[in-house]
Amino acid sequence: MRRTVIVAGLAALMGTTAAAQDIGVSMARFDDNFLTVLRVGMEEQAASLGVNLQVEDAQNDVAKQLDQINNFIASGVDAIIVNAVDTSATQAMSDAAAAAGVPLVYVNREPINVDSLPDTQAFVASNEKDSGTLQTQEVCRLFKEAGKAEANVYVIMGELSNQAAVMRTQDIKDVIGTPDCSFIKIIDEQTSNWQRDQAQNLMTNWLSTGTPFDGVIANNDESAIGAIQALKAAGVDMASVVVAGIDATQDALAAMQAGDLDVTVFQDAAGQGAGSLDAAIRLSKGESVDQKVYIPFQLVTPANIGDFLAKN
Amino acid sequence: MAQSAQGLGGLTYDASKKARPPELNVFLALVLIVAAFEAIGRLLIGDSFLFNTRDNVDTLFNQQRLQIIILQVAIVGIIAIGVTQVIITGGIDLSSGSVVGATAMVAMSFAQTALVNGQPNPKAIFGPGFMDLPVIVPVVVGLACGLVAGLVNGALIAYTRIPPFIATLGMMVFARGFSRWWSNGNPISFPTESYAAIGRGMMPVVIFVALAVLFHCVMTYTRYGKHCYAIGSNEAAARMSGIDVTHHKVLVYTLAAMLAALAAIVLSSKNLTAQAGMGVMYELDAIAMAVIGGVSLSGGRGSILGTVLGALIFGVIISGFTFLKLDAYYQEMVKGVIIVAAVVLDQWRQRSRLQG
Repeated sequence: MRRTVIVAGLAALMGTTAAAQDIGVSMARFDDNFLTVLRVGMEEQAASLGVNLQVEDAQNDVAKQLDQINNFIASGVDAIIVNAVDTSATQAMSDAAAAAGVPLVYVNREPINVDSLPDTQAFVASNEKDSGTLQTQEVCRLFKEAGKAEANVYVIMGELSNQAAVMRTQDIKDVIGTPDCSFIKIIDEQTSNWQRDQAQNLMTNWLSTGTPFDGVIANNDESAIGAIQALKAAGVDMASVVVAGIDATQDALAAMQAGDLDVTVFQDAAGQGAGSLDAAIRLSKGESVDQKVYIPFQLVTPANIGDFLAKN
Repeated sequence: MAQSAQGLGGLTYDASKKARPPELNVFLALVLIVAAFEAIGRLLIGDSFLFNTRDNVDTLFNQQRLQIIILQVAIVGIIAIGVTQVIITGGIDLSSGSVVGATAMVAMSFAQTALVNGQPNPKAIFGPGFMDLPVIVPVVVGLACGLVAGLVNGALIAYTRIPPFIATLGMMVFARGFSRWWSNGNPISFPTESYAAIGRGMMPVVIFVALAVLFHCVMTYTRYGKHCYAIGSNEAAARMSGIDVTHHKVLVYTLAAMLAALAAIVLSSKNLTAQAGMGVMYELDAIAMAVIGGVSLSGGRGSILGTVLGALIFGVIISGFTFLKLDAYYQEMVKGVIIVAAVVLDQWRQRSRLQG
């Protein structure tokens, strides 16, 4: 008797949640420029669809993130969206969600188990293969345009535990490995942990070695801006170096308008946020979703900057 | 004779037993580390760490490298000046990094320029009425943030008598949350020209050195400084001898938080942006600089000069590793070893001095 009451109660509860869906979101961190645009894009999409969104901040802590996911599962959400802190620690999250039968969508950062995701899980992002490739190809084109027979560059990497940083750096090496761009040589590569301040100090340290160079390729815009600030402080003529970033943040676009940043790549943060929410809703309704949903990257240069000013 | 000298205990002055000032040891360590980088550089990559090897510049030293060595530690160094005073009184301040984050966000909000490249500021926090304000506004607002944080820290520690570790841990978590809440995690960018001038070029170093000299004098020659050492050496005795320990502690924590706030203003100006994640781990770097510089965590010993030398050791290590093209991983590992080694050496020195 009591059991039927509980079952009925549960059924009623599930009935109400099905009407207005509850989706749990665990973001790697709240205080990241790009991830904030993504999160806001997700929240706006949720508001327009009437979906209840509960967003948690994992504060760059892998263990905290897994706890948040387990809490979401325990509170009976319809689907979970994860922006992974550490892309190599996602198997446990996939397993926990799959065991509980809750759909899971990874957004922006590619999980290590992306090729073995169960049917109720998906990955929404831009293809990192494109970002560094578009970026470095444009740098290569600019060097050729300037008539350089050989060019030396510094590479500023993002956080080394992050798949995007690894991928984007590999993209750079792949492009300069092609015969077309093999005249480019990397002098040194170091990490700035995506941070402007660290990139600024790193660039000044490089400048102090006095090695002549032609460009700086950074894994993200914040690092590129840090390099620009160091270069300007040292009195380097910005027309003589090529500086490239990725993300097309407002700060970066302003730097490009000022003639300091030469190349950046637009990653549609809001589009990824909205896309991940759509995928989560469809999975929670039992519909099938492609395992990898790609939102395309776009190259941004002074020529087409006008199209992107209002976007990120 | 020997008997009576022993009877007087620590009060006997024996010139032969006077130890070298600890700052001298820190300075020797600094010289040793610089020499090590110079030697490794010449042997392994055939370049000099300290001296200029470029043909197009006509200076004896590699000026750019000497500058970045100080520049990259100047901002944490400003925090370390305050933290040193806190530690000398026998306390600890874990909140400075978070106070940097919160202050940077608030101050930058009042330092924004209305137009960026001829268009409205895309990162505007307040309406046009709060744009293009004179530089004094964000500076005063920023210092006020530090004042409030420091008063809360100091009052909690002095009046409720909870351990400084807990009080400032609470402030550390609170202030970080505040800095994320302030603009929902959005970075705040594009300051006015006058605000940007605060941290431009070598200004952070100028501010750091000026504050270091000022507070070195304060700690050495004023009653405030002597009270800091007295409280740190023996709080009960200090109270018995008539020092207002409660008020003094509030003052020390307030000064420390205001120095952290000043560091935030310089940092956000230098980077032309404020982000909620700014200053993470700065409190530990500042504490480490003080500890390496010979400031004793049990209170009563240490100096601003020592902390400045500790900061320079940090700077030399960061630049040295980039110079050798070694990864950041090694930097942190070496930093960790040096912090522990500094304290171990200090303990040994203490013990051998006591045992005579």
